Amino acid sequence: MFRHTPLRYAVLAILAIAALMQAFTAGYFGLEILIEILILCLLVLALDLVAGFGGMVSLCHGALMGVGAYAFVALNVLADLDPWLAALGAVAITAAAAWIIGAICARSHGIYFIMATLAFGQMAYSYVFESPLFGGDDGMGGIDRFDLSAIGLDLNDSRSFALFCLAVLAAAYLFATAILRSGLGRSLAGVMHNEKRMKALGLNTWRIKADVFGLSGIIAGVAGVLAAQHIMFISPGLMNWTVSGEALVVVILGGLGTLVGPLVGAAAFVVMKHELGEVTTYWHLVVGVILIAVVMSRANGIFGWVEARWGDRIERRLTDATRSPAQKEVSTDA
Amino acid sequence: MTQDLSFWTLQTLNALQLSMLLFLLSIGLTVIFGLMHFVNLAHGALYALGAYIAASIAGTAGFWVAILAAPIGVALVGVVLYGGLIQRMRKSGPMAQVLVTFGLIFALLDLTRILWGDLALAIATPAALSGQVELLGVSYPAYRLFIILLGAAIFGALALVLARTQIGAMIRAGVDNDAMAACLGINVERLFFVVFCVGCALAGLAGAVAAPLLSVTPGMGLQILIPTLIVIVIGGLGSLKGAIAGSLIYGFVQTFGAVLAPQLASVLIYALLAAVLVIKPVGLFPAKG
Repeated sequence: MFRHTPLRYAVLAILAIAALMQAFTAGYFGLEILIEILILCLLVLALDLVAGFGGMVSLCHGALMGVGAYAFVALNVLADLDPWLAALGAVAITAAAAWIIGAICARSHGIYFIMATLAFGQMAYSYVFESPLFGGDDGMGGIDRFDLSAIGLDLNDSRSFALFCLAVLAAAYLFATAILRSGLGRSLAGVMHNEKRMKALGLNTWRIKADVFGLSGIIAGVAGVLAAQHIMFISPGLMNWTVSGEALVVVILGGLGTLVGPLVGAAAFVVMKHELGEVTTYWHLVVGVILIAVVMSRANGIFGWVEARWGDRIERRLTDATRSPAQKEVSTDA
Repeated sequence: MTQDLSFWTLQTLNALQLSMLLFLLSIGLTVIFGLMHFVNLAHGALYALGAYIAASIAGTAGFWVAILAAPIGVALVGVVLYGGLIQRMRKSGPMAQVLVTFGLIFALLDLTRILWGDLALAIATPAALSGQVELLGVSYPAYRLFIILLGAAIFGALALVLARTQIGAMIRAGVDNDAMAACLGINVERLFFVVFCVGCALAGLAGAVAAPLLSVTPGMGLQILIPTLIVIVIGGLGSLKGAIAGSLIYGFVQTFGAVLAPQLASVLIYALLAAVLVIKPVGLFPAKG
C-alpha cells in the first residue's frame, strides 16, 4: 500500500518550495519551463498510478492527454462553451475513454498490454491527424484560458498560470494518494502482485483495473486541458506514442511506483532537456545513455535509489527521535 | 477505376512489396522474442543503420556490394550489443528490456545523426533493376518486384531451415521450452546469440533494400518500428507463420485501405490490432499454443 515516509514528505516539501520560489522569482522563460514541468508532472502522476501501482504499463497516456486537450478545444472553440464547462466535459470524456481502454486491455498482460494500449493511442492519433474537423495535422488554436478574475487572478499572465498549475498539481497528487489509500487502491496492489489470487478471493479484477485506469484518465485529462491552455494551440503531435514513451522514461528515471519519484523525474527531465538542448543538439543521446545506465544499475530511478540508500536510516532516526525528545534536533538535520 | 483488373493487380503487388519488407524486419524481431523473451525495441534502429551503411557504400562500391555489406555490418553491431547489453538484460523483466532498448533507440538515433548528418540520403536503384516489368497486364517497377521475390526467397529459406534442419529443430525446441531444451543438451545461450545475429542481419538487409525506395533519414527506424510491432503482435510472437501472416495482413490492409478508404486507412490497422488482441490476446499464430 502507498505510504508517505518522512523522506517522501521531505522531497515533496523541497519540490513545492523550489516550485514556489521559481514561480515568484523567475522571468518569462523560467516560468514557461516551470509550467512545462508541472504539466508533465500531472501526466507522469497519472502514468505512475497505473504502471507503478497496477502493473499496467500504458503507452497511451500521451494520447489520453491529447484526448483531454482536443476535447477541451472542441468544446471551447468549436462548441463555444465556457472554459470551465469545456474543461469539465473534456475531463469526463478522457476519463470515459480511459475506462473503456482499460476495460478492453485488462485481459492482456506484459508486452501485449503495452501493445494494446499503444494501438488505442495511435488510433486516436491517426484519427485526429486525418480529421478535418479537428484541424488535421495543422492543429487548432484560439483557446481561452480559465477566467479567474473573480479572485483577482489573470491567468494570461505566466506567473499566475504557473501558480494555478501548481495548485492543480497539488490537488491531483492528493487525489492520487486518496485513490491509492482507498479500498480500490488496495485491491489494485493485490491485483498487481497476484491477479489469480485476487480472482480467487472473489474480486472482479478487470473492473478494478478499468476503474483505476479511468481515474488515471481524469488526471491525464486535466493535464491535457492545461497543456492546451498553456500553449493555446494543439496539434496531433501531442498524441503521438513518443509522448507516452517519454512519459514512461520520466517515470522510470524518477522511480516507478513511488508517486514522488516521477515528479522528481519530470523536473530533472525538462531541465536536462533545456540545458542540454542549449549545449548540443544531440541531447537524445545523453538521455538514452542515462536511461540505459539507470535501468541497468537496477536502481528504481533517482528517487528509488535515494530511498533504498537513505530511506530506512532517516526513518530509524526519526522514530528514535520521537521516543527521546532530546535527539529531535539531530533528526531534523537528516 | 476499381472495376479495372489492372488496378487490383497493381495494388496487390504494392501490398506484397510492403508485406515483404515488413516480413524481413518482423521475422528477426519475433524469433528473438519467441526464443529469448527479449523485447528489442531497437530493432527499427538497426534497420535504419542498415540503410545508412548501404547508402554510404553504394556510392563507391555499387548497390550489390552494399546490399551484402549492410547485413554483415549490422550483424557486427548486433554482436557488440549482445555482448554489452542484451546478455546482461536477459534475466530482467520485460519492462527493463523495453526501457533499455528504448534508451538504445535514442542513442542510436543521435549516433546516426552525428555520423551521417541530419539530411536525408538517397541511393539509386541498381541499373539492372531500374526498368519496368510487364506482369499480368501491368507494368511494374523491377526493383519492387525484386523486393517481393527477395522476401519470398528468404521466407522459403527460413521455413526450410526451421522445418528441416537440425538447427531449425533446436530453435523450435528453444522457443517451445528453453529450459527443457537446455536439459536435452542444446547450448541455448549460443543458439540465442546466433538467432540474435541473424535477426540483426535481416534487419540490416531490410534497411538496405528499403533505402532506394524511401529516403534514408535518422527517423526511419522509429517510423518502421510501430508497423513491425503491429505485425508481430497480430501474427503472434515467435513463429514464422505468424510473421508472414501478420506482414501480409498489414500490407494488404494498409495498401487497400489507403486507396479504397483514405480517411480510415490509418485508423483501420490500429482497430484491427485492437480487435485481434481482444479476440485472441496472444495473436493469430503464436509459437506456443
